[in-house]
Parts: sequence; C-alpha cells; structure tokens
Amino acid sequence: MVFKQLVTGVMLGLAMMPAQAALNVFACEPEWADLTRILVPDAEIRTATTAWQDPHYIEARPSLIAAMGRADIAVCTGASLESGWLPALISRASNRGVQPGKPGLFFAAEQVELHQPHDHVDRSMGDVHPEGDPHIHLDPDRLPDIVEALADRLTELAPDRENAIRLRQRQWHVGWKLNTARWREAATSLEGMPIVVQHSTFGYLLRWLGVEAAIDLEPKPGLPPSAAHLGKVLSDPALDEVKVVLIASYQNDRPAQWLSEKAGLPVEVLPGTVTEEPKTNSLAELISHIIERLQQYNDKAAPESADHG
Amino acid sequence: MKLLNTQAGALALAILPFTAIQANEMNPDVSVVLDGYYKQNHTALSHRDEGFGLGHTELSLSSPIDDLFEGRLTAVLEDHEGETELGLEEAFLQTTGMPYNLSVRGGRFLSQVGYLNSRHLHEDDFVERPAAYRALLGSHYFDDGLRVNLLLPTPFYWQIGAEAFDGNQLSEGEEDIGVYTVNTRLGGDLTPSQSWQAGLSYLNNRQVHGGHGDHGDHGDHGDHGDHGDDHDHGGHSHGAQYTGENLYMADLVWKWAPGGNNRQQQLTLSGEYLYVDDLNEHATSDDVHEGWYASAVYQFAPQWSAGARYGQVELREAHGDHFHDQELKETDVMLAWSHSHFSTVRLQYTHQEAHGFEKADNTVMLQYVMSFGAHGAHGF
Repeated sequence: MVFKQLVTGVMLGLAMMPAQAALNVFACEPEWADLTRILVPDAEIRTATTAWQDPHYIEARPSLIAAMGRADIAVCTGASLESGWLPALISRASNRGVQPGKPGLFFAAEQVELHQPHDHVDRSMGDVHPEGDPHIHLDPDRLPDIVEALADRLTELAPDRENAIRLRQRQWHVGWKLNTARWREAATSLEGMPIVVQHSTFGYLLRWLGVEAAIDLEPKPGLPPSAAHLGKVLSDPALDEVKVVLIASYQNDRPAQWLSEKAGLPVEVLPGTVTEEPKTNSLAELISHIIERLQQYNDKAAPESADHG
Repeated sequence: MKLLNTQAGALALAILPFTAIQANEMNPDVSVVLDGYYKQNHTALSHRDEGFGLGHTELSLSSPIDDLFEGRLTAVLEDHEGETELGLEEAFLQTTGMPYNLSVRGGRFLSQVGYLNSRHLHEDDFVERPAAYRALLGSHYFDDGLRVNLLLPTPFYWQIGAEAFDGNQLSEGEEDIGVYTVNTRLGGDLTPSQSWQAGLSYLNNRQVHGGHGDHGDHGDHGDHGDHGDDHDHGGHSHGAQYTGENLYMADLVWKWAPGGNNRQQQLTLSGEYLYVDDLNEHATSDDVHEGWYASAVYQFAPQWSAGARYGQVELREAHGDHFHDQELKETDVMLAWSHSHFSTVRLQYTHQEAHGFEKADNTVMLQYVMSFGAHGAHGF
C-alpha cells in the first residue's frame, strides 16, 4: 500500500515536472536572450555576452561552461561569429542536447540569407566570415524569419508549450510589423546619409535604412584601426560629406575621438545590442533609438548646409 | 581510357570551384601552427637550442565524426639538435552524446593535470613552459589512454575527471597501465570583470618502481645494471627527466577584463605548484622534487601584451643509490605583438640562476607563432 502510494507520488511528480521545470536557455548574445524571453517569458536565460563585450573575443570561461552544461538550448548567431569560444564551450560542457546538428543548438544566421557571403576567403582579407556578415540582429526584415525559426525550435524542445509560443510569436510579429512601418517612414529622411562606422556591427540596419557606411575605421574586418589607416581616412574626400562617426559600445572610442577632433565630426557611441538600460532594453527599442540618434545628426546638418547654400 | 581520364579531369576541374565551398561542411577543420625563434644563449632544461630554430610546428585536423563522436589529430614536427622529429601529439576521439554531462576520450591526448598541461604550447604566453613543467612533465605530458570527465550540475563550474595512460611517454617501464591521474577543477565569475579557476591534480606513475632499472645497481634488476652508468638525461626528449611515483599539482588562475571585454584589455594572473615524492626505491621521505611558478600577463591593447613570470624547481637527480641536489630559478619578461588573432611575435628575456646545472644562462629570445587554417577555439 505504501509502495503503491509512493509509485503514484513519483508518477505524479514526473507528470508535473515538465510544467514546472523552466526552459533553460544559453544565449550567446543579448539579442537572442531578448527574443527567447518574448517567446518563453518564464525561461531561465543565461546570456554569455553584453553590449560592452566584443562577441568575437569572449573566452570559454568556467561560468559559461557550467551554464552551457545545464542548458536545454543554446541560441547563438553562428556564421563563425562565436568560433573563437563556442566550440570550446560545447566541447567542455559535454551536454548531449547542445551539440552541432542537435535541436538544442540554434544558429540565427542559418535561418536567413546573409549579406556578403564569400566564395573565396583568406586571412589576408581580415576576419572575414565565409558564410557572410553575421551581424544580422538589427535587420528589421530578417528578424521575423529568425523568430519564426526560433519558435519552431523551441516548440520542438517543449511541445507542451506550443500554443503559448505560437501565440506570442504572432503577437510579436504584429508589433514588429507596426514598428517596421514606423522605421520605414523614418528611413526616408535618413536615405543617403553618409556616416563613418567601425566594423559592420550596425551594417544590416544601416543598409535597410539606406544610410551609407561611407568609411570604415577598421583597415580590414576585425583589425583595430591603425594610425596609417586613420591617416588615409582623414584625407578621404568622402569624409567631407560625413555627418557622424558611429561606433558600438564595446569598441575602443579613441580612434573615433581622434577622427572627431581632426575632422570636426560628432561621435555617437551606441550599444550594438540589447542592454538592461531604458531605451535599449529590447531589439525594437534599440532600433528605434539608433534611428532617433541618427536622425538627430541628419537634422542638425541639414540647416547648416542650407546656410552654406 | 586515356580520353575518359582527360574528360573526367576536365569535369573535375569544371566542378571543383563550385563545390569547394559546399565540401567544406564535410571536410575536417585543418589548422597549421608555425613556431620559429632566435635564441641567443643555451639555457638549462630547455627544449630549444640556441641560434635560429623551429619550435613546435603543428598540423591539426579535427571534426565531428558522427552524432556521437568527435575526433582530433595533431602531428608535431620538432627540430631537435639538427634532426627533425615527427611526433603524434594527439589522436583521439571524444564522445559527444553521453548523458549527465559525461564525456569519454580515448586515444592519444594531453593529460589534463594542472592548468597548462592540457593546453597546446602555441597558446602559451611565454616561449617555454615553466622550469617545473619542463623537468617534471617534459613540458607537456601526452600519452595513449582513456579519460572520463564529469561536469557536476552545480551552479558554479565543477568538473571531476580521471585518466589512465600507458605511461611510456612519461617514463619507460613495463606496466600496461603506467599512469593514473585524477583531477578536479572549480571556477566561476566574481564580477562581470573577474573570473577564476582552481584545480587540484594527482598523477600516479606506477613505472617508477617497475622494471626500468635505469640507474640500478639494485639487486632485483641486475640484468639492466649496465644502464646505471648512463646519466645522460638528454636522450628522453619527450618524457620527463625527473619522475617519482606521486605527482601532486595545484593551480589557480584569475583573469580581469574591464566589463568582461577581453578584446581591449585583460590581466591574467596564474600560478601552479608541483610536488613529487617517492622518486625511486632508494629515495627517503626527504627526496622530493618541488616546483612552482607565478605569472602575470597584461594585454594592454588589442594587439599588445606584456608579462612577467617567476618560477623555480628543486630537484633530486638520481645517481645510482643516492641523489644530487639541483635547483633552477627562472625569471622571464616578455612583450608580445599580435597583429591579428592569428599572428604573434614575442620578445622575451630569460634569467636563470642554477645550482647543479651546467648550461644555465641568461638569454634573449625572439619568437613568432603564426596559425592558419581553422580558427582554433581557446579555453580559459
């Protein structure tokens, strides 16, 4: 009798477990944590990097191995962005659910077509990824496909949550479409605006907006700005038209500040991804914020050029 | 037939450029590490000769094998006293599908004892491993064997592991399983800027008391007694020159990077302590090898790092039934420039103070470490 009660108890316990156990998520970058949280709000999410860290160069440190070991799913960018640390994490965590080819390893870059895939890549070109530019997380058009694929994947791992995940995905999609329409409108004023960038961190969004990344402070992708290259930038005639120098919060701002002093240009430092601070604490907010900041420099410049004319 | 071959060749040529990218998915990751140096003077316990030379030239292939196994092959070309030796440093498979965060590795691989030993030499911040490593582990101990690791389900990082090895890469002997190791590692983040790792390891070398009889006028191994006159330790370039039955190691690493952004700046402090006892059948409890090092490396800009390391090792060199004291104290300072993630040029000055070593000296070394091919993922 006691045995029977015990068995019933254990069975009940097991039956209740899936409902109680929160989905354990390892997000390589904050943008994927943000999107996963939208689909599964009660997920336990460990984010490996912040907006103040260069996602190319994180180390496979012990705390991340422990988090990877517990994860039901790892949500990452892919396209070799994390190739310096993610393979080591996966190998050391020995989590059989999170392995290449398993549903527990989700790469956003595999869900969409990337900009600038290369047939031929060698290291003399800098840190160029053969798959294409991996910084897709700010692209208004590519994100819905990524979120849909992520919802599919989460549903595969937690079938009991399918309805809730699908519902939230549709809600997100509606909101995103409204935002996209708003951004599209804002983009008309930004079209053709030339700016200086450092790396392709904001590349997809700038291209979508029609903002022209006229000059890159990096001599080659992934190489820090050198004195020789900055000298060349300073004498580049395209610099005269440039409105602002835009860099990401994880980058050293000294090269940008140097150029700012020499060329009299404003410098804008923006988080390259979602943060915990107001105005940038979700992908939609972040994109709105970046557009707002860019507009400010565009508007400022407009009356000036009118004066000259 | 000839025509057919030509046609097939033309076809292959025509197809190749288009299939090359896709085929990558099925091909293993290939990486090559070039290591060359100039060394001004000879130094004690060194694996690098003076003058121009090549260090650890490495060719590595790695790939998932299927959904349960991954594998790695690392061949090393080493130039030693004018002769090029081809060595197999790694040839192992590792499971990827075991439950409970268990993993099993089999084949030839680097033992995970200590902090540095499981790392590849080209990942090091200094030209050579600390003196204690060179004396007691032959710089890096790898062997044929089996490893089982378990990552414990704790909120912080805690791994335990055990290895069994043939043992002949460490010291010659007749045991089938000559070396056992157990190891545990703990680690975590203190703040977003600081992280740490600590480890304890034990290595049991069963061959020390085995039938090697290298310096034996010991009765049991009288038939090998001739070897007793041979005190030339230079012969075993891959094994450890100083062994004992029990090797204990403790290691501690602390890293700091502002905001955790180690691309811009990073300070790494690390240290290890090694202790060996039960050296051979003539050893008393006072006959032990003991060594340690402490290292500080500051990457002060994305492409630059500077570091200093102090290490010492006290050894008991076996001479038949007695021992001679030896001691080596070493101080290194280095400056390294890494143009990209794949190229490093390093300038190092090493100061040696020795007792019982003939060729100890101070030296300047200039080294390059260049890698091409697959992007190697480096551990903590």
